[in-house]
Amino acid sequence: MEYIVKTENLSKHFGQEKAVSGLEMKIPKGEIYGFLGPNGAGKTTTIRMLLGLMKPTSGRIEIFQNDLKQERLNILRRVGSLVESPSYYPHLTAKENLEALRKIVGVPKQRIDEVLEIVRLTAAGDKKVKGFSLGMKQRLGIAASLLNNPELLILDEPTNGLDPSGIIEIRNLIKSLPSECGMTVLISSHLLSEIDQMATTVGIVTKGKMIFQDSIEAMRMFAQQSVLLKVSESDKAWRTLLGRGMKAGLDNGIISLPEQSDENVAETVRGLVADGFSVYRVEEERRSLEDIFLQMTREEQAG
Amino acid sequence: MMGKLLSAEFMKIKRKGIWFLTVLGPIGVVAMQMVNYGVRKDYLFGQNDDRWGYYLDNIHSFTPLAIVLGIVILTSFMSSIENETNAWKQLMALPVSKMSVYLSKFTVLSLLLLISSVLLLLFTLAFGISLDLGGEIPYDGLLKYSFYPFFAALPVLALQLWAAAVSVNQGVPITLGIVGVILTYAGYALPDWLIWKWPLLLNEWEEPIINVLLGAGTGLFLYAAGMIDFVRRDVK
Ligand SMILES: Nc1ncnc2c1ncn2[C@@H]1O[C@H](COP(=O)(O)OP(=O)(O)OP(=O)(O)O)[C@@H](O)[C@H]1O
Ligand SMILES: [Mg+2]
Repeated sequence: MEYIVKTENLSKHFGQEKAVSGLEMKIPKGEIYGFLGPNGAGKTTTIRMLLGLMKPTSGRIEIFQNDLKQERLNILRRVGSLVESPSYYPHLTAKENLEALRKIVGVPKQRIDEVLEIVRLTAAGDKKVKGFSLGMKQRLGIAASLLNNPELLILDEPTNGLDPSGIIEIRNLIKSLPSECGMTVLISSHLLSEIDQMATTVGIVTKGKMIFQDSIEAMRMFAQQSVLLKVSESDKAWRTLLGRGMKAGLDNGIISLPEQSDENVAETVRGLVADGFSVYRVEEERRSLEDIFLQMTREEQAG
Repeated sequence: MMGKLLSAEFMKIKRKGIWFLTVLGPIGVVAMQMVNYGVRKDYLFGQNDDRWGYYLDNIHSFTPLAIVLGIVILTSFMSSIENETNAWKQLMALPVSKMSVYLSKFTVLSLLLLISSVLLLLFTLAFGISLDLGGEIPYDGLLKYSFYPFFAALPVLALQLWAAAVSVNQGVPITLGIVGVILTYAGYALPDWLIWKWPLLLNEWEEPIINVLLGAGTGLFLYAAGMIDFVRRDVK
């Protein structure tokens, strides 16, 4: 598989604190990689290292299959980024801000209007950024990251400070990038719901360690689904199941069966019917990714 | 790469009052003598037969302070551009080397100070002529008094730029700057090795060129040391 970003044993220590340790990040081409973790997990630190803003304590970073240490400038030419809160020059207008960056990345002037259009800031292009709302500044930051038509776009919490409609807009924009522009996107967040709606691949980091990295489907699979049964005389039915040596829970008159294969479920239902219980409903419990995430981080902390 | 960076830097210093200060400095220095000569022209003319030379000495009595103060304020303004919203991280994530970013800041500051020096020369000359000092215009001395302080002050520039670029707390470069201005102000009474005294162009051999060479050499050294440290550090 062709990896756009690949880190080997990447670590960053601040004195005693291990902000990132032994991180193996792999981002396949064309994916939207959701980099997920609670506050202080090491997301920003990792992203800063990917951009060469911080030197790793140890480990290696490969981007576009080139070593970042040796090819930093050539790599950065093809990368767009927004790290943490957006940076801007408040005394300049939005266009002047982009122009100051454009001069360095060296794309045609018209690109400024294009990126302003993409983030819907065209109308505010000639206003000083000092007076922008937080959301507008965030959009400007995203516009800046798109300036050089990057092949890899790295966005650190890009929907910070946006209102719901702004979030949806940016989400749709990000979703469209891989197919329309052939981009690979790395997007960090501490909100699972956000990643859930955009990402195709997920990496979960906590306390500087990667605890999960796979496709979003695999992540959903990882969730231990239980099957819920609504039956008549639930209390009695539950005891019957326990009597047969099955693992079952009872909650609010609903029986839950953890991790059951299709056959097992069929078997259980047949048994209950044979014993004279009415089975009203058989359904799968849909656990939110939030639960999965919490469970994963909790397991990590326990272990 | 330097060309692109410089044009971006000049774009960023717009509307920051930086150009205003660059012009204000030399105007201030000459304006002091306008007051001085306006109030007691006859007395001052009687002080020395070499009226041009005396006039230039008077001008120079404020230049060192103006240039050190100018360096402190300009570096602080310049670094505030990147520090205000921590734009360092945005700038350094572009395909630019940290060295060239540092060099571009130093270059812009040097150019601004050089422009100030040229203006100082022009204003000094213009007011000198209007004073009707008589005798030949000492272009030699004019050039010396206009440009020597700049070179002699390069170590201060290098030091202030480094402090402003690497300090998370901008109180550090500002404190350093205030101490520097006081040292320059009190320069006559201080030992020669203090870099803040050098713009006064004083040394025991009475050869101002020594301050120029020392300033350029030490300035280059401090610049290189500052740049290496800046490159070595993680971006703020
Ligand atoms: N420059 C620094 N010096 C010292 N410690 C740091 C530095 N930068 C980050 N850290 C520490 O490293 C850890 C990881 O921080 P990081 O900013 O990478 O987290 P994050 O995942 O981005 O969190 P958030 O969701 O809050 O943005 C934190 O404990 C933080 O205190
Ligand atoms: Mg962060």
